[in-house]
Amino acid sequence: MSAYGGYAKTSYGAQGGDDGGGFTMGGTQQGSQGGGSKFADDSLRPVTIKQLIESEESYPGGPLAIDGVPVTQVTLIGQVREIKEQTTNVTYRVDDGTGIVDVKKWIDAERSDGGANTTFQLDTYVRVFGRLTAFNGKKHVGAHFIRAIEDFNEVNYHLLDATYVHLYLTKGAPGAGGGGGGGDAGGDGMFVDGSNGAHSAAPSRLNLCKPNAKRVFKFMQGASDNDGCGAAAIAQGTGMSVTEVIQAADDLLGQGLIYTTLDDETWAVLDY
Amino acid sequence: MEATATPRVTASYLSSYIGRNVIVVGKVIQLRGEEATLDADGSINAHLNRDAHLSAGNGVQIIGKVNPDLSIKVLTSLDLGTGVDYNLANTVVEIAHQQRPMFFYE
Repeated sequence: MSAYGGYAKTSYGAQGGDDGGGFTMGGTQQGSQGGGSKFADDSLRPVTIKQLIESEESYPGGPLAIDGVPVTQVTLIGQVREIKEQTTNVTYRVDDGTGIVDVKKWIDAERSDGGANTTFQLDTYVRVFGRLTAFNGKKHVGAHFIRAIEDFNEVNYHLLDATYVHLYLTKGAPGAGGGGGGGDAGGDGMFVDGSNGAHSAAPSRLNLCKPNAKRVFKFMQGASDNDGCGAAAIAQGTGMSVTEVIQAADDLLGQGLIYTTLDDETWAVLDY
Repeated sequence: MEATATPRVTASYLSSYIGRNVIVVGKVIQLRGEEATLDADGSINAHLNRDAHLSAGNGVQIIGKVNPDLSIKVLTSLDLGTGVDYNLANTVVEIAHQQRPMFFYE
């Protein structure tokens, strides 16, 4: 047994030794990602190039992480600005408007057609699937596959996709309301916008607010009287803390969806 | 690896980007020799370069520098054909300005 114990110490002790079981990365794991970190590592994440440039090791020597979540497999879009053909690989400089990154496609010597895969014209939009790697402190993407984009709208779809994943990881799933209390939040489906016929009065700007703000707004729509709703009453009605309510109200005030009435912590829905 | 952003903008954001390079996705409304009028959630005048091949009615992506009079001096342009969803493109601009840390260097 003592030999086993010593083994456990050397291999896990260096990581900071959480005894939560399993091998967890970084420490800033999102709740829903708790399971196998191997799986989280290898999921394919849509990103903007700026996110790649600003990705950082979650601990010294650890994997690169964006929003505190380790990433290796990424997909990105961009225009090819420069092509450098080398003996072992072709390096493309890809620009998506948020930054420029080198994408290396290794030439497959085994292939009989000389491995001279299709190269791309300069300035065409491409989609890249690959693995984010840091080499000598310089990051690049090792491409598994690159293809030209035929429908330009795919570029915009991708940017929204990347934003969605970023928001999902930093703010939680839409309509989930930050956990606690709101388990069964009525007709709140996965897709908040567009499909909520029952709440059709909700203005589109609400979709830009955080989940908590959406809950507060819906509560206020249901319960408005002339003097507006107080923070305490909203907290009670939604099962959120007063601090959360005040943050949510700030968000709604910023979007011009509500206004203060009796004092700074009483608001009413702005109808026009 | 370069940290230089070319922000995606529509007509209403131009005044915040004078002297900088931007990306505009819009529809070609009119071509007058070396000048073009685009619609990107509002109209934009573009001064074209020699190798710009625009066609009226098509979508186009231009990258260029914003002049003080809010026209754009085009550096490169890319014809996008007719299947461009302009609402989508304008929404992406709005979202990018909402989620600045993902798109812009401050």
